[in-house]
Amino acid sequence: MRGLTTLALLAGLGLGGAAAVVGFGLFNVSAQVGHLPGVTWVLHTTFRNSVSLRAPADDEVPPLSDPDLVSLGAGHYATACAMCHGAPGEPRSATARSMLPAPPPITEAVAHWEANELHWIIQNGAKMTGMPAWPVEKREDEVWAVVAFLVAIKGGTAPDVPSPTLTGTAYCQSCHGDIGGPVPRLDIQPADYLEAQLDAYLTGKRPSGIMAQAATHVPENSFAELAAYFSSKPAAPVPGLVPEEGLGAALAAQGTRDVPACLACHGGQETGKGPRLFGQNEAYLVSQLTLWRNGVLSHDALMAAAARELTDKEITTLSRYFASVGR
Amino acid sequence: MLAGAVVLWLLVNGAFYYTSKVRPGAFDQRHARNILIGGGIVLPVVVLTALLVWGLSILPDLRRPGDGLVIRVTGEQWWWRVEYWPEGADAPVVTANEIRLPVGQRTEIHLTSDKVIHSFWIPALGGKMDMFPGRETMISLAPEKVGTYRGQCAEFCGASHAWMAFAAVVMEEGAFDQWLANEAADAVEPVSEAAERGAKIFLTEGCGACHAVRGTDAVGQVGPDLTHVGSRQTLGAGRIKVTLDDLSDWISHTDLLKPEVKMPSYDLEPEQLSDLATYLEGLK
Repeated sequence: MRGLTTLALLAGLGLGGAAAVVGFGLFNVSAQVGHLPGVTWVLHTTFRNSVSLRAPADDEVPPLSDPDLVSLGAGHYATACAMCHGAPGEPRSATARSMLPAPPPITEAVAHWEANELHWIIQNGAKMTGMPAWPVEKREDEVWAVVAFLVAIKGGTAPDVPSPTLTGTAYCQSCHGDIGGPVPRLDIQPADYLEAQLDAYLTGKRPSGIMAQAATHVPENSFAELAAYFSSKPAAPVPGLVPEEGLGAALAAQGTRDVPACLACHGGQETGKGPRLFGQNEAYLVSQLTLWRNGVLSHDALMAAAARELTDKEITTLSRYFASVGR
Repeated sequence: MLAGAVVLWLLVNGAFYYTSKVRPGAFDQRHARNILIGGGIVLPVVVLTALLVWGLSILPDLRRPGDGLVIRVTGEQWWWRVEYWPEGADAPVVTANEIRLPVGQRTEIHLTSDKVIHSFWIPALGGKMDMFPGRETMISLAPEKVGTYRGQCAEFCGASHAWMAFAAVVMEEGAFDQWLANEAADAVEPVSEAAERGAKIFLTEGCGACHAVRGTDAVGQVGPDLTHVGSRQTLGAGRIKVTLDDLSDWISHTDLLKPEVKMPSYDLEPEQLSDLATYLEGLK
């Protein structure tokens, strides 16, 4: 009985002490004085183990060597990451270096992690470190672009990071002008469509971490102007793909019993229901159709319903067809 | 059937009246035994045996070869894809959600299904037959009386199973041939300005991605063929009539009328909706 009383007394004292630390602000949160001895080790070890427990499996890592993917990652890195981690080979700002923990220079940061772990860290961020989560959920797919860039840094093959001081059309151009593949062409779209997409990215109605970052990097009142600029600016023709009639053409024009006919809405200039697809980049089409099919994109009820039963093969066939016509 | 029900009702209530009012009190043992053996064993054995023999004897009729016309019906969620194959035809006449049969002829109905099991049943004309994905079943029907009967899916197939019905219309042979010829033709041109506007809306809103209106750019195959939707008895597989109001309701509140239906509800301006309904109603 006496033992129990002592225990209760000690527990009460402990709780009281903890309440005093919180209530009277006794714990010093200063980033300048640093951690108490041992705390850094505990925090860092917890971080390492937590990441390796939760990171996706190695075999979920897609091919990351596509130069367009790497460039897209570099473009996002320029405004979203470089402010803390610095561009490769360049010093971090004095302010970033004064954080606790200080964000490691990017070349040093990537050295400790594999691609799957980098993906988890970029997607989820890390509590109490200042490392933010990816701006939207369920877009694990686009995180791989940044991972591709980081892996390229590790391998010493990374392209230059675009200047973070770019603004307006020059800023948009740093991805939409110079990169194909996963980055869509804008010149084929009408201006009002482009403006509506910028709004949708800004509000999160259309989820994309990369475009959410971009839409907050340019002033909202410039959306109409940017949309008009890109809509009227013909892109350089991309050589390559052979127009594929046959299967893709038939599927787009007539659909199947499970797949609506694409051209009913995406037919071209006159039927203005959906965005124009002829001449769009193939990799972009594949990724967007897959996102629609998987229910990640749902900002248009018609397209969500239309894509529901697409097979992987139909997605690649259609993407190849639309990319190959009207170049 | 009504007469039979009346007779049974009179018999049951008569027996009740007899034992409670006319002759209350216990029967003697011999009487009681005769009633049990006669009414409990002999009567059911005789009646059920006769019914079984008769039932088995007409069962093969449902599988008898038809007189020429074949109707191919595919169960969809939740509607009926219907193709008419007149004897010797090399392409079908495509329609939906309505079965028309010539009276006095035996018609083969070939049944299959898209994704889940359905069951084809016109209670007034014959037995049920299940419809399986990837497999064809057959039932042949020889209706004897002209009229409109109700058909219904008789196998639970999802959220809107109860709303998966159709009209079965039995017609004189001449009328049937005329109907089929009309059904085989392309859609009629819109006759009013409203209908013309509606036809344009049908295409610009992307309706043609899923629905075919033969003779126009709408060639979709996901949903019912609408070439002659205005001449059908029902809309949405037995759900509502095909009036202007019903068509507007259907287009704007599809999922309320048919839960979990694939077709999305359309948010159109009232005038657009009315033009579109006018166009569809005119597709006779």
